Amino acid sequence: MAAATSLNFDSNSLERLTEMKDIHEAYEYLCKQENTIAEEIDELLEHQTNLEAKMSTLYRSVPNLQVVNSDAKQLGSMVSFTCDLAENVSGKVRLLDLAKGRVQEAIQRVNDVLDLKFCTDGVQTALQSEDYEKAAGHIIGGSVDVALHVLQDAKQNLTKIVREKFDAALVTADRASVERFFKIFPLLGLHDEGLRKFSKYLKSQIADRCQEQLSQASTLDSADRRAAVVYADTLTILFEDVGKVVEIHQPLVETYYGPGRLLQLIQWLQAECDEQASRIVDEFIRNREFSLKSRQVQALLHRGSGRTSTAHERLDPRELDVMLAECTLLNSRTELYLRFIRKRVLNDLEMVGNDEKADADKVAVLEKLLRECLLSRRIQELIGNYIVMEEYFMRESVIKAESMDSLEQGSHTSSMVDDIFFILKKCTKRAISSGSVDCACALLNHTTTILEGDYQDSLYAKLRAGFPSGSFDVAQAYSMLQQGRFPTSSSDTNAAKLEFMTTVNNIEVSLEYIQSLRRSLSEECAALLIQNREIGKDKLESCLNDLGAVTHKFKDVLDPVESSAVKPRLKPWVDSFLSVNHDIREDEFSMYEANDPFVQNFIMNLEQLLAEFKDFMTPSNYDSLVSLVTNEVTTQLEQAVLRSVFNRLGGLHFDKELRSLVTYLTSVTQWTIRDKFARLTQMATILNLERVTEILDYWGQNSGPLTWRLTPTEVRQVLSLRVDFRSEDIKRLKL
Amino acid sequence: MEDYKYLFKVVLIGNAGVGKTCLVRRFTQGLFPPGQGATIGVDFMIKTVDIGGDKVKLQVWDTAGQERFRSITQSYYHSADALVLVYDITSRESFNSLPGWVKEVEQYASRKIISVLVGNKLDLHKEREITIEEGNSCAESHNMRCLETSAKDSDNVDRLFLDIAVELTNNVRNVEIKSGPVEEEIRDHGSVQGCCR
Repeated sequence: MAAATSLNFDSNSLERLTEMKDIHEAYEYLCKQENTIAEEIDELLEHQTNLEAKMSTLYRSVPNLQVVNSDAKQLGSMVSFTCDLAENVSGKVRLLDLAKGRVQEAIQRVNDVLDLKFCTDGVQTALQSEDYEKAAGHIIGGSVDVALHVLQDAKQNLTKIVREKFDAALVTADRASVERFFKIFPLLGLHDEGLRKFSKYLKSQIADRCQEQLSQASTLDSADRRAAVVYADTLTILFEDVGKVVEIHQPLVETYYGPGRLLQLIQWLQAECDEQASRIVDEFIRNREFSLKSRQVQALLHRGSGRTSTAHERLDPRELDVMLAECTLLNSRTELYLRFIRKRVLNDLEMVGNDEKADADKVAVLEKLLRECLLSRRIQELIGNYIVMEEYFMRESVIKAESMDSLEQGSHTSSMVDDIFFILKKCTKRAISSGSVDCACALLNHTTTILEGDYQDSLYAKLRAGFPSGSFDVAQAYSMLQQGRFPTSSSDTNAAKLEFMTTVNNIEVSLEYIQSLRRSLSEECAALLIQNREIGKDKLESCLNDLGAVTHKFKDVLDPVESSAVKPRLKPWVDSFLSVNHDIREDEFSMYEANDPFVQNFIMNLEQLLAEFKDFMTPSNYDSLVSLVTNEVTTQLEQAVLRSVFNRLGGLHFDKELRSLVTYLTSVTQWTIRDKFARLTQMATILNLERVTEILDYWGQNSGPLTWRLTPTEVRQVLSLRVDFRSEDIKRLKL
Repeated sequence: MEDYKYLFKVVLIGNAGVGKTCLVRRFTQGLFPPGQGATIGVDFMIKTVDIGGDKVKLQVWDTAGQERFRSITQSYYHSADALVLVYDITSRESFNSLPGWVKEVEQYASRKIISVLVGNKLDLHKEREITIEEGNSCAESHNMRCLETSAKDSDNVDRLFLDIAVELTNNVRNVEIKSGPVEEEIRDHGSVQGCCR
């Protein structure tokens, strides 16, 4: 309120104050106001220093600010200058660009106009002059909107003409025109159509030529050199034809259609090849009576042994032989052709360089085509039947060789061994020559089956009766042979012995032949595998190994000879050792030296015995026999020694006897004999001792290089054979 | 030298498409590759298993079922130690062909051979056309064992081949016993190893 009142005070109003009270009031008010102001002034004065400090700071900043100000102004002018410059430049560039665009458009337009003029002129002249390649070339060049319909018209027109002309060329088989128009299709973007039409042309060419060949084949003189393989030849010509078509046209297709199109072409061509090949196979089957023969063989095989069949006579083995050869030729030609096709297509695919997945897909299509095309199936069927017939042919020939078995004088083996192995080799080689791994394996299996089955059985059956006992008169034996054949039923033991010995030799030679058959077939298979990119290697090896393993099933053939022909005859000869006194005086010893009572005779007997066999045995069989005889001699002689008594001179004489025997046996064989006499030689050493304890010079640590084959008990037993050794001394020995 | 004591040949036969190749691949490689083409000719795969401490090598021959390969297949019967005759339990036709197959086996195979009848595709049992009983009675009439398998689900596949391996090993040992030390017969699969699952 006071403030409100005080607002009314001014110098004028003070003069108008009349009342004391008012004056007082005014005075007080003014005093109060004075106080307040004084306070305020004080307060302000307090800030003075502060303000002064601030002021001085500000004063100091002033020059800096002036620098900043001038710098900022400079910057500003620079920025605006740069900005102006940039505006200026870009404006000019934009302008230039615009100008350039317009110039280009103008040039394009001018070009197009020129092009169009050229094309339309070109197409028309080309069409007029029937130069369709040029016309098609012009169509590819044109691209201007306005003229597009003109060109499309021209294209349609051209396509129509090209199609008509191409079809016409096909009808007239005008090769030059066909190839001419074939090249135009890809220019019109009609790759597939062109290729399909072209392959149609090629197919008709293939078909015509093949039919011609086939009709020639059917009229071929049967005396012609190639008559026996005329269908294989015809098929070969077909394959060569297809091959030639591919060879000639692949470069064309590649040039005008680009790489990677061969698979498609082959797929179409193979359809024709299938059909033609199928016709050839049909003709082959019909004219060679393939099915009939196949059925006959099946029937014969199902009956079991073909030995006594009447149907056999209707099946001429020679005719069968010729047909089987043609069969393998048909297959090997087909394999060759399919390999050619595979290689060609793979090369073509490689050139494209697609991604792996696409390539793998195409390769799968190719493999499926090769595997499942009609040609492959027909040939597989043929080979399936071939295998059965080849097996039959092989078996029948083996049976025939067995039935015609004969022995020539001076030969160790009879004819059937050579004959049978010849047949087995011939048939299996033929199967391998088919080029089919499965076919080769099948015949390898059959060969193995025959060898370890029928063949082995028939050989061992002849040994089962054993070797007839009694002496063996060779001349007599040969005289019993009827024109080289063994008598079928004869009680004559000499002939039986000869047959037995021959069989033993047959078996021995068969073992060698099996290994050489295996080796030679292995070589054939190796060649097959090289052609076949090593596919089927494991199969072939497994089957070849089975063939080689047949050897293990032929063994111990000489045992019956030894036990029936040697053992009983040795017995009395060895027994004669017992009748010779070995407890002798000096004069008896001298007499023995002059006139040997045992060993000369024994050796003579052995010589005679071995001579009986020697001429009839292969060298290795003879060595085996000597070895068996030696085993038997040592066993029996050991027993005889242990049943005799000796003195020092007797022991000395025995040592001499033994040396003579060893020398003789060593002279009759390639094999080492001495080892078989180790025990007897050691016995002789013991029987030759001066006194009992002398044995210790040879025993234990003193034995040196000598390995004792006698046990301590046996040593004592032999020592005790000496009549002049005391049994106490022998017992005292520490062995 | 390869490290095994016995080698046995097992040959699979039966109509086309019953799953012979799948059985062989399942057993030897543990695979079930669907959508393969028909087998051409024959092929074999090897698997070595441990039978009672002996390494036994099984050479498993896979054959084409198609008629035109029949003569190739037949050439393997003679040397086979075991034959597995396969049909498809969802195919009456494959089952009806069995007598023909048995006749072939009798004609070509060795008499000592072991034959096993196998009904494959057990995984498709909902589409079954041949009952277990039919399979069993067919097997019985031809003196065979019978087993149903699934190459896809790997059912009974190892058992099929391991049973054969055990039986063949026991047979060989029984022959050896006559000339060598007596070995114990393996009666169960407890001592059989080498199955892959």
